[in-house]
Amino acid sequence: MTRQEEPGPLPAAGGKTTRLPRFLGRRRRVLAAAFLLIVLNPLLNYYLHSSFLQGWYQSFSIGNLWFVSPLEGLESLLISKTLYTPSLIGMVIPVGIALVLGRVFCSWVCPMSFLLELVDGLRRHLSGQRHLANRLLFAKRVLWFVLIGEIGLSMVLGAPLFVFLSPPGLVGREMMMLVFFKNLALEGLLLVIIMLLELLTRRFFCRTFCPLGGMLAFLGRHRRLRIHLDKDGCTSCGACGNACPLGLLPEQGEGTSAYCWNCGECVDSCRQKMLSFRWQLEKTAVKRGNEQ
Amino acid sequence: MTLGRRDFLRQAGAACCLSLLPVSVAAGLSATPVARNLLRPPGAVVEEIFPAKCIRCGRCVEVCPYRSIRMLDIRHGLHAGTPLIEVTKIPCYLCMKCVDVCPTGCLRRIRQSETRMGLAIVDRFQCATWIGTTLCRTCYDKCPFADRAIRLDQLRPIVNEALCTGCGICTHTCPVTGADGSKAINILPLQAVEKAVG
Repeated sequence: MTRQEEPGPLPAAGGKTTRLPRFLGRRRRVLAAAFLLIVLNPLLNYYLHSSFLQGWYQSFSIGNLWFVSPLEGLESLLISKTLYTPSLIGMVIPVGIALVLGRVFCSWVCPMSFLLELVDGLRRHLSGQRHLANRLLFAKRVLWFVLIGEIGLSMVLGAPLFVFLSPPGLVGREMMMLVFFKNLALEGLLLVIIMLLELLTRRFFCRTFCPLGGMLAFLGRHRRLRIHLDKDGCTSCGACGNACPLGLLPEQGEGTSAYCWNCGECVDSCRQKMLSFRWQLEKTAVKRGNEQ
Repeated sequence: MTLGRRDFLRQAGAACCLSLLPVSVAAGLSATPVARNLLRPPGAVVEEIFPAKCIRCGRCVEVCPYRSIRMLDIRHGLHAGTPLIEVTKIPCYLCMKCVDVCPTGCLRRIRQSETRMGLAIVDRFQCATWIGTTLCRTCYDKCPFADRAIRLDQLRPIVNEALCTGCGICTHTCPVTGADGSKAINILPLQAVEKAVG
């Protein structure tokens, strides 16, 4: 986040201040809080010996409430061919969230997303251009092949690959290494590469190459929370397509596709206010809404 | 173009070497980091499935109050992110906190006395008491299961295989250090012990 983009003082404080769009502001606050959590966590563990908060987004615990990342948990389960109840229970909440809300972990919580927002903000600040012309694009469905390939390769090698090369996990691990051992793990270079690729295409890694994103997108195919498009008032200005970090076209109804991660950028960008988050209780309602 | 025998052999040899390269690299990348005095935390599942089961969440590293557990990085290949205890630096004091936080069951919830991280082996050609230089019994005094896991036989330390947890406190405190960094009492990982025995 560059300085200009931080939420300004409240309107009550005086004059005209530019405020962040509704969901962007909220999302950045959530992302920053989630990032702060994994920065604070090793510090609390190391200096205060407090084990109330533990781990990072591979497995995170708040007291006795444990979370286990679904893909890492699944890999561990598939390769070792054993069930472990705490691990399964830890996966319930993340899987439930993905089933109902879709891929929101990626856009609202993932520490990599926070870093990429920073890179994007910095680029915007330095180049003065609001939207990046994406230079390197892959078909969206590559995401599924990455997911299948990753699980397949892990099973062939007999060792899960994503667990030690997962960017969201790596951010946490590097933080912990820094606090505990005062050095950084070499695989952190992967994070630097992903951050550099962000200058080539927005969310280059997230949109097609993150197996965890693929897994959560797969789980969220029939999610309840979707981007609803009111076609009657849409002027097809293309603002939402430009705003979408994943390169989707909400004006063509792609906000309901499996790839959408419900970040709300398109909702913010629509000048006609024709896009909105909508809670869909029946599956058919989504399709009918599209056809109209 | 005809291929001379020498050229053919040279190219075939190069091709063989090239095809073996990934194999040797892969073997290097999947080689276990567990070795003498380098051990997994208490309750660890067998080393064959350890890297498969561990999700590298680092919670055992974070919870360890003695900072005994450290985390491996990508130089250890597939074992990157897995926990390891270097007992010559900081041994395990068997507080059993790590086994309680492991979310995948990679460290099984076991009791202190059930821990088998390895087995202490006295090097009778290094140990000051065994070679008769002096009467040292540091390992006997420091062993958390004193007079059970390490006993004295005519004042010389002897390890009871049935009770030794492999925590490495004896190795850590042993005053004798060999040229290769080994102590007069070392912890061998269990698999290594099984191999050596039979």
